[in-house]
Amino acid sequence: MTRHSPKIGVYGFTGCAGDQLMILNCEDQLVDLFGATEIRSFVMAKSDNHEGELDVAFIEGSISTEEQLKRLKEIRERSKVMIAIGTCACHGGPQSMKLGENKFDEMYKKVYGNAKIAISKAFEAQPIDAFVKVDMYIPGCPIDKAEFLGAVTKLVAGRHPYLLKAPVCLECRWKENPCILYSGKFCGGPLTKAGCGAICPSMNLPCVGCWGPTDDLNASSEYNLLKEKGYRSEEIIQKMKKFGGAKMAKLVAEFDKKEAKA
Amino acid sequence: MMILKMKKEDLSTFLDSIREWGELWGPVKKGDKCTYAKVDSLSQMDLKATRTIIPPKKFLYPPRFTMFDYDEEGYVERLGDVPKRILFGIHPCDLHGVLIMDKLFLEKYNDPYYRERREKTLFLGHSCIPDDKCMCFATNTDFIAEGFDLFFTDLKMFYLVWVGSTKGHDLVRMRPELFSRELDKNDILNYTEYRKWKNAQFKAQVDFTGMPDIFELAYTSPIWDQLAEKCLSCGQCSMVCPTCNCYNVTDEVELGALEGTRDRFWDSCMFREYSLVAGGSNFRDKRADRLRLWYTHKLQAFIGEFGKPACVGCGRCVSTCPVDINVVTVSNALKELEVGK
Amino acid sequence: MKKMCVVLDEREVQDNPFKPEMFRIVRRYPLTSDVNFFQARPMDVDEALKFNYLPGQFIMLSVVGEGEAPFCISSSPTRPGLLEFCIRNVGTLTSSLSNLKENQTIGIRGPYGNGFPMDKLEGKDIMIVAGGLGVAPLRSLLLNILDDRDKFGKVTYMYGARTPELMLFRDEFMRFKERDDINCLLAVEKDESGTWKDKFGMVTSLFKDLGPIDAKNTVAVVCGPPVMYKFVMEHVVKLGIPKHQILMTLERRMKCGIGKCGHCAIEYLYTCIDGPVFSWWDVLHMKELIGRGASDKTFA
Repeated sequence: MTRHSPKIGVYGFTGCAGDQLMILNCEDQLVDLFGATEIRSFVMAKSDNHEGELDVAFIEGSISTEEQLKRLKEIRERSKVMIAIGTCACHGGPQSMKLGENKFDEMYKKVYGNAKIAISKAFEAQPIDAFVKVDMYIPGCPIDKAEFLGAVTKLVAGRHPYLLKAPVCLECRWKENPCILYSGKFCGGPLTKAGCGAICPSMNLPCVGCWGPTDDLNASSEYNLLKEKGYRSEEIIQKMKKFGGAKMAKLVAEFDKKEAKA
Repeated sequence: MMILKMKKEDLSTFLDSIREWGELWGPVKKGDKCTYAKVDSLSQMDLKATRTIIPPKKFLYPPRFTMFDYDEEGYVERLGDVPKRILFGIHPCDLHGVLIMDKLFLEKYNDPYYRERREKTLFLGHSCIPDDKCMCFATNTDFIAEGFDLFFTDLKMFYLVWVGSTKGHDLVRMRPELFSRELDKNDILNYTEYRKWKNAQFKAQVDFTGMPDIFELAYTSPIWDQLAEKCLSCGQCSMVCPTCNCYNVTDEVELGALEGTRDRFWDSCMFREYSLVAGGSNFRDKRADRLRLWYTHKLQAFIGEFGKPACVGCGRCVSTCPVDINVVTVSNALKELEVGK
Repeated sequence: MKKMCVVLDEREVQDNPFKPEMFRIVRRYPLTSDVNFFQARPMDVDEALKFNYLPGQFIMLSVVGEGEAPFCISSSPTRPGLLEFCIRNVGTLTSSLSNLKENQTIGIRGPYGNGFPMDKLEGKDIMIVAGGLGVAPLRSLLLNILDDRDKFGKVTYMYGARTPELMLFRDEFMRFKERDDINCLLAVEKDESGTWKDKFGMVTSLFKDLGPIDAKNTVAVVCGPPVMYKFVMEHVVKLGIPKHQILMTLERRMKCGIGKCGHCAIEYLYTCIDGPVFSWWDVLHMKELIGRGASDKTFA
């Protein structure tokens, strides 16, 4: 079997760099990881970086300026596989929670006033797949070490990573936690992709949805349920949109419209 | 079957004595719910608990475990690292659940992972106090005649102890002086009284008679779409159901080598990915189709095949589903043609 | 007396049915741009001749480090020693598989499933209808029948592909046209290369060339993409072939192949152990067998 050490680049855009930090935090495996791969560019980890053809580009963060967009497209062109890491790159992250509300100019003004920003024109933060083709998503805020390493080891072996597609409830049940949603309190578990090991519900805290939405969520049913339990509409929507990004914005707009009609 | 009698105060001594056979596990409190946990003595257990969050199936095939270690030369099974366990306080419904699992995992091709755990686990059943979600009366699983090693029926001052297996008998023989074979007419009266009392406890409104036909008639019923509008596709119903056996398999790889583990983990037919085949075609893409499969499997197909439902009436779906989709609401909705509140 | 306890020790101890055995890829070459042909045999040569199976059965195939999936066998048990598969590159496992070269190893366990009831087919006229990649399991049946030609009545083979390039085993089947003990009807929908000298149209268009058949004594075997069934079944049923004598083989997601993982369940049947061969009569009773839309249409 021929072993290849894939050429890898790790890049950060609008986000907290927590996912890159998590990669560097894989202490036990870091030496092996750098040994099994050829890390061509990883500004946060090393100074000697080369920008050229890549087998895999890991992208953290959402895209919020023209300059970032240009850079993203440039990386895409020279990468065989592009993987979004972290919820910002995958879904937009908290900075995209107002997507679809057409309030960007208002928000911008509130933060920057009339100051002229000369670096690059800014726009509302969006996930990277709003602009380029993404081959794989490893969400999380920050990403989970085991899930990330599980995916990378497969890529190094020339195999396909498998990530759970089910909601957090799957892992939450494995841990045998009492269901928070059943008890009448908000929990983002059914709406959120698994992979975190249901950390929050295991500490008796509701899931805030930081892995981003699953492929197959029923947001309107959870919305209706929480309204029955006495939650205010705005509160539910705010909680759902916190990490829900572009996908949740679309779903919320749909059942918002439905409600307005009724 | 051999029935023995034990003084109630002797139970603690008995459990302490049999711990040399293996780890002792029993129901303990977890928040306002309950779970089977490893314990040191009877005093840590909550024998009044109705149902645990997850049924005892977690001992026979855990939510996630490794089947094989592999490298390029082949696959080596990982067996033998399972501890011996004594589970105390298992209720009749859950024992019926185990019998259904036995059927699935031990017949035809027998599953060595299940088999090993089944052989290393002793089931010590215990009588229960039904609550408003229990419906074992409707599934004929409120009493049990097989599948356990010992079964303890609480008759206030005494336990009547059914000896269901040779291993169960071995446990009795560890402290034979705690058991008596002398049963008298009071025991008969007490036991009869207990059964009457238990039968009077059930409050759930449920009746599964005629279900196979009703399912057939309701195949295209709009009820399924109405239920699908509510279903969160969270899969919790599958995780907590004592007769849900579905699993998924994935291969994990070590960094920089073609070796690793083949792992198996609980899956649910409520997930879209469940029926997805390579190439993207999905035989049950619609949530309504997935819901129908789950309930058809429990309340129609299994009855048609084995003469009894694959529901043991434990009430876990009732006490788990956040949007009230469970065997009671679904069977009633199919009959009454509307989804209840 | 009612069995009072589960005596596990009395149950037969079997080898681990989930354990793949290592096979060597002996040959592989592309049949079309996305379908590969594989020949494999057990690493242990003595095992090779012991591997018995029925046409229509499948195996679980593992690619080391990738995973496991079911594939039907395309070779005939009458030619022991080598297993053959035609595998379309559609998913993660098949794409890793398509990167494997001759002499590399794969894991195989099986065979599983009911397969075609060969003993019941004896003495019958056989009509095989294949569409696209549906030929994969049917080639096993066809080769088996031709190798045991005396045991069967009239044999008709109909196969439709979109283009000549997409017709799997084209040369092999063209040679069958020269034989007088099989009525081999081939059709393609279109041919941009201009090389196709035979019939044009869908597989259903071949029914008009069928000639007289003895419906009561005929067993029809159909396999193809789900969309094909509703059209083909109309023709087959119209011929008067009894519904339990119309067989089809199905594809489902499977994680075990032996009735444990639940993925291939259809009502109380498991495609893996109760199928993958089902009769049209089964399908009429189980609406999910070939998908809601397909069976609804053919009900009336």
